[in-house]
Amino acid sequence: MRRRETKTAAQYDQDLRARQGKQVLWITPPEGVPIGFACAGLGARIGAQLLDLLVTYGGLIALLALVSYYSGMSQETANALFALFAFLIRIPYYILTELVWNGRTIGKRIAKIRVISINGRRLDPHQVVVRNLMKEAEVFTPIMLLFGVTGSSGWAQVGMFIWLLIVLAIPLFSKQTQRLGDMIAGTCVVLMPRVQRSTELTDQARPVADRFVFLPHHLEQYGRFELQSLESILREKATTQYAHARDIDVARVIGKKIGYTDRVANGDARNFLAAFYNAQRAHLEARQIFGDRRDDKFHRTPQDGTPR
Amino acid sequence: MTNAILPQDLRSVRFRREREPGWKRLEGLVARVEQGGIASLGFDDARDLTATYRQTINSLSVAREISLDQALLEYLDNLAARAYLVIYAPQASIRNLVANLFIRGIPQAVRRSAPAFLIGFGLMVVGALLGYTLVMRDPSWFYTFVPGELAGGRDPSSSHDVLRASLYDDAGGTHNSLASFATYLFSHNTQIAIMVFSLGVFWALPTVLLTFYNGTVLGAFFAVFAQKGLGYDVFAWLSIHGVTEISAICVAAAGGAQLGLAILLPGDLTRKDALRLRGRDATKLLILAGVMLFAAAILEGFFRQTVQSPTLRLVIGWGMGLVWLTWLTCAGRPHRETGV
Repeated sequence: MRRRETKTAAQYDQDLRARQGKQVLWITPPEGVPIGFACAGLGARIGAQLLDLLVTYGGLIALLALVSYYSGMSQETANALFALFAFLIRIPYYILTELVWNGRTIGKRIAKIRVISINGRRLDPHQVVVRNLMKEAEVFTPIMLLFGVTGSSGWAQVGMFIWLLIVLAIPLFSKQTQRLGDMIAGTCVVLMPRVQRSTELTDQARPVADRFVFLPHHLEQYGRFELQSLESILREKATTQYAHARDIDVARVIGKKIGYTDRVANGDARNFLAAFYNAQRAHLEARQIFGDRRDDKFHRTPQDGTPR
Repeated sequence: MTNAILPQDLRSVRFRREREPGWKRLEGLVARVEQGGIASLGFDDARDLTATYRQTINSLSVAREISLDQALLEYLDNLAARAYLVIYAPQASIRNLVANLFIRGIPQAVRRSAPAFLIGFGLMVVGALLGYTLVMRDPSWFYTFVPGELAGGRDPSSSHDVLRASLYDDAGGTHNSLASFATYLFSHNTQIAIMVFSLGVFWALPTVLLTFYNGTVLGAFFAVFAQKGLGYDVFAWLSIHGVTEISAICVAAAGGAQLGLAILLPGDLTRKDALRLRGRDATKLLILAGVMLFAAAILEGFFRQTVQSPTLRLVIGWGMGLVWLTWLTCAGRPHRETGV
């Protein structure tokens, strides 16, 4: 009788990549090479929306307070002016900012998210208008009816409450956290991509490359996942005692797994790892060019959503 | 056998060494555009931007095939994404967009939507005729059509003088035109317009019912005044803003009807595609309805009670109607070739 298998690190990694794959929106620009964008979470979007409300209504209230303080206009006139300007700025604010800054309102700029078009072309003004008009019909009007701002009856309020629940639940169940307006306009809100610098890792080991010799059967043990795990270890600067101990540990485990018989001195562990990384990567990349992709040490084939 | 493959021989390393200057150049250009806009680039830079972008996109494709360097793949993916957002940004200026919308976009959309307009205006007219006829025959119908708060004391039991006073604001002076303008914006017609439009998605049924119902309310109101011999006066009173305002509701209804028609009669397209296609015109109609409602609000807030002469009211109201009609039928027509 077999015991229930526990998940290995490689399996956890595959699950993680599968889950992340669902959060990624693949856009195919006219150049034909898909680019991945991470979809923005609901939290960032609500945060951006609240910031926008603060900017529009906060700015308006501050302005009116200032004007009425100096000119001494009546409360009634101030209220009327407020209602008038609120009507004028509410939808146009979102449409204009998203047009001028290519899919970013002030709130979205701060939250580092933006609107992109799903079809891989530039954001069409029509799309911007539709998604923001729908926001009015989806969220703002029901909220105003719900809180009785416009004097609606009890049944209308119950109806609006149910409608709001449905509308707010749609992004939770949608694959790319799209709201109704996004779906109709064909847009999606994504995180701003950030460029991190990266150096060529194989250069690290060049001075010590010939001190460690790896035979072909040494390099048959691991796949992509193990190589990239090693990469993330090597990209950290090993300055602490803890990191040093970990390097020694990893070097011993690798040495045992691949059947490396020479002794590796404790002080040499990082050099050994760097040299092994180079040899392993050269081996795997050479195999990959011949169409033999190896995702991990269990010979799984890649299953994430990355287009090839 | 030693590990014969040295890192400098690694295909992905050579690939990187060869292409990296281009990536760095693109990174610098993208950062500059994000800061100062595309206009901050000179001719050479702008040319390099597109050239290095294509090269980087190509590198991304190759790297996905040959490289196992996770950091490099992420770097290229993010760089390509940022460059894509810079290059595929909207190119028209806001001024051009707005001008284009009003000179060509809206009038052309209106002319394309003739059947929907027939539905929108037709329902309103038929509803008004029905409401008028019914109330003329039996005034108690009025209470069926018009909700209490909308009537505001103007119902069949009101005397001639009360009704007359509601049309001509003889008190004068106390009237705060700005306040009434603003409250009007949120009053029932804006809501009706939004609902008539957006509910069109449900097979146009709510649009049809709401527009028709609004017509009956209008007809019923008219009938009440007409019975007291104030028909001409109420017509003038309604005209000054009503020509614009009721047309705005009909325009919104036409937009809703467009959406409903896309669902009901999608033709060769799938319903989703038809909705997307007709949605383009429907959105323009909604913008038009918004503009008209805004104009109606100005007329209602500033002119309706200050202009007291019925003739002037008629002239202003129908004059506005003529302006709308001229704009929507004449603007944005292609220039006719003058042949020999």
